[in-house]
Amino acid sequence: MIASTIRWSHRNLFAKPLDAVLSLVVIPLCAWALYSGGSWVFQGAQWGIIPESIRVLLVGIYPADQIWRAWGTLLIFGLLFGATLGCVFFLHRVLALGYCLVVAAIALVAVYSEPTSALLIVAAAALALAGWFATSRWENLRRFLVPAWTLGLIAVFALLSPPGIGLWGGLMLSVLITMVTAVLSLPLGILLAFGRRSQLASVRMFCTAYIETMRSVPLILVVYCVWIVLPVLAPQYSVPDVLRGMAGFTIFFSAYVAEYVRSGLQAVPKGQVEAARSLGMSELDVNRYIVLPQSLRVVVPPLVGNVLDVFNAAPLVFIIGLTDFLRAGQMVLANPQYSDRTYEIYIFLFVTYFLIGSLITFAARKLELHLAKGAR
Amino acid sequence: MSTIVEMTGVNKFYGSLQVLKDVDLSVEKGEVMVVIGPSGSGKSTLIRCVNGLEVYQQGEITVDGYQMPREEDRKIGGEKELAAIRKGVGMVFQQFNLFPHKTVLENISLAPMRVRRKSKAEAEANALRLLDRVGLKAHAAKYPAQLSGGQQQRVAIARALAMEPHIMLFDEPTSALDPEMVGEVLDVMRELAAEGMTMMIVTHEMGFAREVADRVVYIDQGAILEVAKPAQIFDAPQNERTRTFLSRVLKH
Ligand SMILES: Nc1ncnc2c1ncn2[C@@H]1O[C@H](COP(=O)(O)OP(=O)(O)OP(=O)(O)O)[C@@H](O)[C@H]1O
Ligand SMILES: [Mg+2]
Repeated sequence: MIASTIRWSHRNLFAKPLDAVLSLVVIPLCAWALYSGGSWVFQGAQWGIIPESIRVLLVGIYPADQIWRAWGTLLIFGLLFGATLGCVFFLHRVLALGYCLVVAAIALVAVYSEPTSALLIVAAAALALAGWFATSRWENLRRFLVPAWTLGLIAVFALLSPPGIGLWGGLMLSVLITMVTAVLSLPLGILLAFGRRSQLASVRMFCTAYIETMRSVPLILVVYCVWIVLPVLAPQYSVPDVLRGMAGFTIFFSAYVAEYVRSGLQAVPKGQVEAARSLGMSELDVNRYIVLPQSLRVVVPPLVGNVLDVFNAAPLVFIIGLTDFLRAGQMVLANPQYSDRTYEIYIFLFVTYFLIGSLITFAARKLELHLAKGAR
Repeated sequence: MSTIVEMTGVNKFYGSLQVLKDVDLSVEKGEVMVVIGPSGSGKSTLIRCVNGLEVYQQGEITVDGYQMPREEDRKIGGEKELAAIRKGVGMVFQQFNLFPHKTVLENISLAPMRVRRKSKAEAEANALRLLDRVGLKAHAAKYPAQLSGGQQQRVAIARALAMEPHIMLFDEPTSALDPEMVGEVLDVMRELAAEGMTMMIVTHEMGFAREVADRVVYIDQGAILEVAKPAQIFDAPQNERTRTFLSRVLKH
């Protein structure tokens, strides 16, 4: 045991002089960071601030008596997420068990602050499990996925709007921006990608210019410009800031989606198009039934990665005065009573972003493997 | 007999490279025409002009009574004729080109449903009948990747037949196959020929050509040098270049 440890460390940590020096520097540093960080997390930190400010962090200034609307949103998203998962990953017994354990752990943490919340979280998780089970068991349901997402988003908007769209905030706003951008930029991106290959020079030039422009300017600029320009274009309507922000994100990210889709279109062999044409299919049908499905299969993993980019870019909406998750954390800290809890809040933000981000990355990687197995 | 494909004075260029030179050719209904010639001589180009996968610049091509639009007419208004021609012309490729994301059954039933507006039930029943005919009924639910090369090519033939074409084009249908699978594909083609299907076949299988062809076309550097009955062209070729070509390929 000791001998093998020594052999392992010799091979992995002290193989060459440079390795040895690096190891001697890095290992104590890590140990020190872990120790001091750990002792602060378990002894110094005052985590009470998180449950106290959790509502602001999650929904911003959304009115407390309307919070049930946010819970409704969580339930809808739970079902949709589960259904989406089921289209790709079959729900094994082991997977279901692991999932239940994770949910139980989250619920336990939540019970500590509020039993009702715990119940609702478990309900959302159960809905997700149901959706997952349904689409992984009955393949016929899968074709309703896109309509379901569209309907779901409309329902969420209808559910959350009454108190005022301007009141949306916190993690809820970050997630909504991500969802809306992801769902809307996909069809737009597909259209742009096809437009860039169009026979018609005017269409081709417009799409190319659009894509290249968006890809060469910063997101924050696009969001800000759209925010300013929309009221000028449509002075008779007062479009809420949140919607203007979503418009900016969608306009910006559809250019990136278009480029991903285009790389997928190029990956479809020429013979596929020729075979379809030789069967008499119209160009529209060739693209719809032969080219697009094959190219989307290639680009699903980068598109999932793109969703993560959107999510991580969401804090930029502070520029138009919105309060996303990160901004909500800063808002909590702005309260003088909490001003010495900076680390607690930022660690909470960090961990949450990290968990969501790594979940999406993990899904994208799994998806890539899954699709690679399915093809050829 | 009526003519189904008529080419007169067809010229085709890639930039300054001329790949078809003054091609005159006609295919009669029910005829099996085999196209032979050295690599790069324009065999593929010739038959791909028949269903408009390749454009041509000069001359005239008539298929099924429709005028195939020339390159400059393609963009403005030529789509209708092109679509009409393609409905009636089936094609089988060297690389099979089955749709990998669709099952065998879907591969065959898709075009009849989308182009001929058949019901799903009707298209699938017809697809199964065709699969039975090429001996692959048991594989209907599989994906192309799960089949051998020979099986894939037979599915590709069934897929083209599902559109009830008046003429079938084959571009080296057995060249990508392992030798032991060549026979099963040629058998299917032989049956088609016996049933009276009009076919244009590019192939290097000279034995097969001699057996099924009504006429053999020899093409070299984009020009048709000889068109004759197989017995004539294989036993007593008139053209010098035909003779050298055949002596080279028949030696093996
Ligand atoms: N896209 C292209 N651009 C330029 N030249 C081309 C193109 N496609 C084919 N050619 C040329 O056209 C000529 C005819 O090609 P084609 O594919 O019809 O020959 P082939 O007789 O079918 O040859 P093979 O037996 O190798 O299939 C060749 O000289 C080839 O180099
Ligand atoms: Mg060829």
